[in-house]
Amino acid sequence: MSYNELTRRHFDAPARVGSLAGPGCFRGSAGSPSQGTWVQFDVQVAPGSLIRAARFVAFGCPHVIAACSLIAERAEGRCAAPCLPESVGVLRERLGVPVEKLGRLLLVEDAWVAALRAAVRGCGIESPPPQPHI
Amino acid sequence: MSARCAYLDYAATTPVAPQVAARMAQCLTLEGAFGNPGSASHPYGEAASEQVESARAQVAAAVGAQAREVLFTSGATESNNLAIFGTAHYYRDAGRHIVTARTEHKSVLDPCKELERRGWSVTYLAPDGQGILDPERVAAAVRADTVLVSVMHVNNETGVVQDIAAIADRCARMGRARVHVDAAQSVAKCELDFGALGVDLMSLSAHKAYGPKGAGALLVSHARGAHLTPLQFGGGQERALRSGTLATHQAVGMGAAFELASSRWREELGNIARLKERLWHRLSALDGLARNGGAAAVPHILSVSFEGVEGESLLAAVQSHIAVSTGSACTSAAREPSYVLRAMGRDERLAESTLRFSFGRFTTDADIDRAGEVVTRAVQRLRRIAGA
Repeated sequence: MSYNELTRRHFDAPARVGSLAGPGCFRGSAGSPSQGTWVQFDVQVAPGSLIRAARFVAFGCPHVIAACSLIAERAEGRCAAPCLPESVGVLRERLGVPVEKLGRLLLVEDAWVAALRAAVRGCGIESPPPQPHI
Repeated sequence: MSARCAYLDYAATTPVAPQVAARMAQCLTLEGAFGNPGSASHPYGEAASEQVESARAQVAAAVGAQAREVLFTSGATESNNLAIFGTAHYYRDAGRHIVTARTEHKSVLDPCKELERRGWSVTYLAPDGQGILDPERVAAAVRADTVLVSVMHVNNETGVVQDIAAIADRCARMGRARVHVDAAQSVAKCELDFGALGVDLMSLSAHKAYGPKGAGALLVSHARGAHLTPLQFGGGQERALRSGTLATHQAVGMGAAFELASSRWREELGNIARLKERLWHRLSALDGLARNGGAAAVPHILSVSFEGVEGESLLAAVQSHIAVSTGSACTSAAREPSYVLRAMGRDERLAESTLRFSFGRFTTDADIDRAGEVVTRAVQRLRRIAGA
């Protein structure tokens, strides 16, 4: 299988690999290694509901790793809301993900949304501001 | 093609030996043996025919067969198809049951599945955890209506070698079933003696042994009186079992490659076995490895499964540095875990995260060291990304 330049770049040198712990840190995960794809995101939310830091660990194909890297990189500094910085459709197009792998991107989205939902609940953010997709 | 990409996929194919390519080229032009080997009425045809018969003798000599037992084909896939369909149809009044193994090549399994669609029944035997078929279990699967037992000699994914002589011996005690062996991976890799194995049919490939692609042979035992129904008609070449103008250059290439291989393989194999152990030693710095086939594998194949890494990512991480095969078949974006490894009891994930390294005449210590370094680094990096 071939990969586009953006996928290759994020797969070869993924940004924000790791985990976060401590005050203001929240976690979400989806999938399982036994099913071929597993993703975990940690986000740290600063006062004012901004995402201060995001980290991920993932067991998955190059497209999954690249998507996680891209999301974590772009999320920092944005408002904490349970949605992706950019839609799954846009992610799929930008990373050149074949349609057969759409389910894997949805797992990435599930993990991200789970982390942000935990953050929204944990920080008592009542009405997250709408997030325009990039 | 990157000159820095180390070729470790000799089980997929081998480069044509330069002296073999030179012999082939001599059969293509006006100055050479370009004639139709079936044209006995003029010297051009006679010259080509002499070349083909010389090649037939070379192939036979390399594998312990008689020249008259060699039918040239387009490769092992055609040979396997001819052996299976040809036997099934010739002996269809004696029975319609076939015995084979789950770990066979697709060019054996798919013809068997097609025969099932046409009303034959097929028993697919599972190997043990090392990929070995117990000859007694093979024989126990033979029924009164079994007409063919088809078992490969060297497995293309794991390198596991089956005890074909024992299988043929046990099956002979059970009745009249013919025994076919897919030996595409065997030439120049291990001892191969058609006459001594006691089998009826054997498929061979040229391009696995430094010969050309598109050339192969089916050996049909004369002593055992094996018969086939042909699959193609028109011209009556190859004793009317494989009609079609013989490709002189392909036959000559196969003959030259087999002659070269038979004179060199023992000497080469020592070095190849050393290279394999060198790579295994390099990889052994990692934990969570499974060596598929273990000691039962031929020296030129090393199949290793890596726990905790996703298969596609593993291949993507190494493919610009080393040319290897994976434990999965990639069809568009969907990946199927290797059915061979699954039949050996590996779970889906482990089967997918498997690399097959295969070595050959031109593999160097530097290639091995590069592979060891690249794979170790990739596995460590992917495990770190996975949070391990």
